[in-house]
Amino acid sequence: MGARLAQISLFGVALMVGMLLVGQLRSQARPIELNSLTAQDLSALIETLSTRNSDLRAALLDASAQVRDYQLGGDRGGSAVTVAREDLERITAFAGLIPVKGPGVSLDIEGSLDPIAVNDLINELRNSGAEAIAVDGVRITARSVAVQGSGALVIDGIEISRHFEMQAIGSREGLLNSLNRPGGIISQLKLFVAASIVASPEEHLELPGTRQDLAPKVARPVE
Amino acid sequence: MADIPRFTRPQWAVSIAAALVVVGFVGAAQWNGSGVRQQFTSSAQQVLARQVLDLQREEGLLTQQLGAKEAQIRDFQARSAGSQTTLDSLNRQLEVARLAAGLSRVQGPGLVVEIADSKRVVPVGDNPANFIVLVDDLRDLVAALWASGAEAISVNGERLVATSSIYGVGSSVLVNTAFLSPPFRIEAIAADGILDRFQANPAFLGRVKQRIDAYGLEFATATATTLDLPSFVGSTRLRWATPVGAQL
Repeated sequence: MGARLAQISLFGVALMVGMLLVGQLRSQARPIELNSLTAQDLSALIETLSTRNSDLRAALLDASAQVRDYQLGGDRGGSAVTVAREDLERITAFAGLIPVKGPGVSLDIEGSLDPIAVNDLINELRNSGAEAIAVDGVRITARSVAVQGSGALVIDGIEISRHFEMQAIGSREGLLNSLNRPGGIISQLKLFVAASIVASPEEHLELPGTRQDLAPKVARPVE
Repeated sequence: MADIPRFTRPQWAVSIAAALVVVGFVGAAQWNGSGVRQQFTSSAQQVLARQVLDLQREEGLLTQQLGAKEAQIRDFQARSAGSQTTLDSLNRQLEVARLAAGLSRVQGPGLVVEIADSKRVVPVGDNPANFIVLVDDLRDLVAALWASGAEAISVNGERLVATSSIYGVGSSVLVNTAFLSPPFRIEAIAADGILDRFQANPAFLGRVKQRIDAYGLEFATATATTLDLPSFVGSTRLRWATPVGAQL
């Protein structure tokens, strides 16, 4: 009887220890420390997530319409061809393979920016919802990064001059607000680099497609 | 012969007392930790944090639904392939475009880079933020990998595409629409020699290598003969940009 009582007691205690240890370990992890974010950070995060969810909802609607078109098209080849053609146009534009036009912002930049600064600007534009970006006429793809060449910055093998233009297609207000906000990328860069960076809204921009061959050499698609 | 109990009363009483001490210690630590977190959070912040969590849940659901729809579309296109010459040609072009855009799952040789917060005890007076992985570290590592010839990259399973950003929110990192936390595992498919090129790349040597050495950030690299990178699942819809004169 005593042994049974001891076993039950030990089981109960071990269970409690286990649960508390798991709780303690979890509380020490660094998943998303929402509680340590300021109200301002949280508000910015809500704005970012809301915009992205809204994009996802729109993409889901488009995809659903596309599935419907395929279903309605059935054996009618014409409909399937139209849907496939639209899909191809969207994907090649998204990847940066073909030229695109639209409203957005242009940044007139003059001075000594290092590759990190240029890559940070590109990252900020992407984060602010830019759909297509070009730097001095070089279309930015997933693989494009600014690197230091022998005498100048280089993107995708093309030299970028000291005075260059960065263009991004997207919401003019959204992009400008993000770039120019206090503590934003432009004000931060001005603290560290000797450069003039002026962002202006543009009603009509036209960005070229990339000249890079994006077809992978070693990566193979998986069915 | 009478059964001999495995524990006499004093023995198990001591064991339970010791275990209770551990429970008390861990429980107190847990309680204190909760208290500190509670102090950080005002009611307004709690409301905002709840909104963030709701949005994240919604994002997960939307991404899942979108992934399912895209699989359905790929299935339609695969089934219609070969039915007509034009469609067949378009579907082949679509496969190539998806591959270039990061919308296909891919396999290939490459490099795995892992980075995590330092395990060192933060010296008194030192900034604790120096000892954790920062968003700049991830950006530098990814830039170094692209510059070293990577063809496809994923960060903790998030495939990078033309619109992907690596964004810091407090000490958390947002990639595409996913919140990521350390350890960060960056997988890059690339041709032979990627490790040497990566380790010699200025984007790696510039900041992140120095932080790894100075603050003891956990860091490891390994080449792999086969990496399997997921496709990007997210919005590829263009609201503002319109294709120009596409000859498709």
